[in-house]
Amino acid sequence: MQEKDLAIEVKNVYKTFNVYLDKANTIKERLLFLFSRNRREKREVLNDINLQIKKGEVVALIGTNGSGKSTLLKLMTKIIYPNKGSIETYGKLTSLLELGAGFHPDFSGRENIYFNASIFGLTKKEIDNRLEEIIDFSELRDFIDNPVRTYSSGMFMRLAFAVAINVDAEILLIDEILSVGDEHFQNKCFDKMRDLKKQGKTMVFVTHNMKAVTELCDRAVWLYKGKVKKDGETTEVVNEYIKTTA
Amino acid sequence: MKKNFFKRLYEYRELLKTNVKKDVRGKYKKSFFGFLWSFLNPLLQITVYAIVFPLILKNTQENYVIFLCTGLIPWTFFSITISRAAGCMIENGNILKKVYFPREIIPISLVTAEAFNFIISTIIILGFVIFGGLGITKYVIFYPIILIVQYLLVLALSFIISAVTVYFRDLQHFISVGLQLLFYGTPIVYSGETIPEAFKWIININPMSYIISAFRDIFYNQQMPDLISLGKLAIILIFACIVGYLIFNKLQKRFAEEL
Repeated sequence: MQEKDLAIEVKNVYKTFNVYLDKANTIKERLLFLFSRNRREKREVLNDINLQIKKGEVVALIGTNGSGKSTLLKLMTKIIYPNKGSIETYGKLTSLLELGAGFHPDFSGRENIYFNASIFGLTKKEIDNRLEEIIDFSELRDFIDNPVRTYSSGMFMRLAFAVAINVDAEILLIDEILSVGDEHFQNKCFDKMRDLKKQGKTMVFVTHNMKAVTELCDRAVWLYKGKVKKDGETTEVVNEYIKTTA
Repeated sequence: MKKNFFKRLYEYRELLKTNVKKDVRGKYKKSFFGFLWSFLNPLLQITVYAIVFPLILKNTQENYVIFLCTGLIPWTFFSITISRAAGCMIENGNILKKVYFPREIIPISLVTAEAFNFIISTIIILGFVIFGGLGITKYVIFYPIILIVQYLLVLALSFIISAVTVYFRDLQHFISVGLQLLFYGTPIVYSGETIPEAFKWIININPMSYIISAFRDIFYNQQMPDLISLGKLAIILIFACIVGYLIFNKLQKRFAEEL
């Protein structure tokens, strides 16, 4: 496959987490732990994952809790790094893992748009250009100059989502956030996703909402215990997944 | 497709800018005296030392207050930044775990914000120099050069300290003890020449003593700073910054897991 057609390439990725049953952070504890090393556990989360995602593909990662979906997504955004193997992404990437990270409650909605968007790597000018669109999308025009701490949790999420979705990235990584806001806002998010899909953006979803998966995605990857169990056309994978979990 | 350090920094310049702004402005946002604290803090400190040292230690330094503030203010820039660097990753742990952005933005914006605070506090030095009768000479044009050298020193240390503390939290406490010791190992309240020969090496290996003596040269002694030592120091520090960044880069890969 030509490299320029690829958006994300995951090659032989292994990831293990050290699970500290009781973590030694200080010298005293470190010294004590020298004699009792067995308080640490290695947990293998991903085991030899290979995945190639083409530009413009919309892929769902499905699987039960603890199957490594979110870890894989975090690896793609480079919040964490694999123990073995490599992950390459080609193009500007935005992850919607935890919405509103970096929001400052004392600052106004408008200021938080600037701050949050700058974390995504936008310049002042780029944010200026998108400001109206973000405010419109969030439907918070009347509240935009109020401090974010006065927002309800739904309003907060709407603002966060509006910023993230308007970053204009080529690759979007989305973790279980299709449950933002009320019915009306959810539909709006769906429309926006379809729109982005039409524009040829690459998207990777993690979700348990199978209806959303089948509606939106061309391809599904089923992770089971840190391995790819099935990778293929959405309905086929989803049906088999439902059969085994039901 | 590894982007190099400067390109990535340029891409995220807005984040760097907002971080620095928030830091400088937010510092005194909720206090009554507000921005005045930038001046009151060092002034109070200078007052205490200016009373204690000449009285108790019979210090015969001429214009001791000016002598003192040319040492104390650069030292404050150094010590505040280093102690804050030790906590900066833990402070930002929440956001580091959730969003990707170049991690080096955090120490860099911390050092830059403190450099701004230092520039503001320089007004105190200028005030003392002008109203203390010494006046300003042409040598102050070297101020930016000395500032850059100190910036490099603080940056190199901040890279290493901020990253190592994530794995080894005790470092925070070592740093605060170390800074107290180093305060007396740096010619701030005394002059480097009065040190007994046996202890001179402490001052000779301490980069802060070169920086403080350069600041002293331009404001207090009103003479040419030792540009050769400064140049040598700058070269060492550029190298130290590169090494510091490489260490930081190596360690940052597991930040999200360790925080």
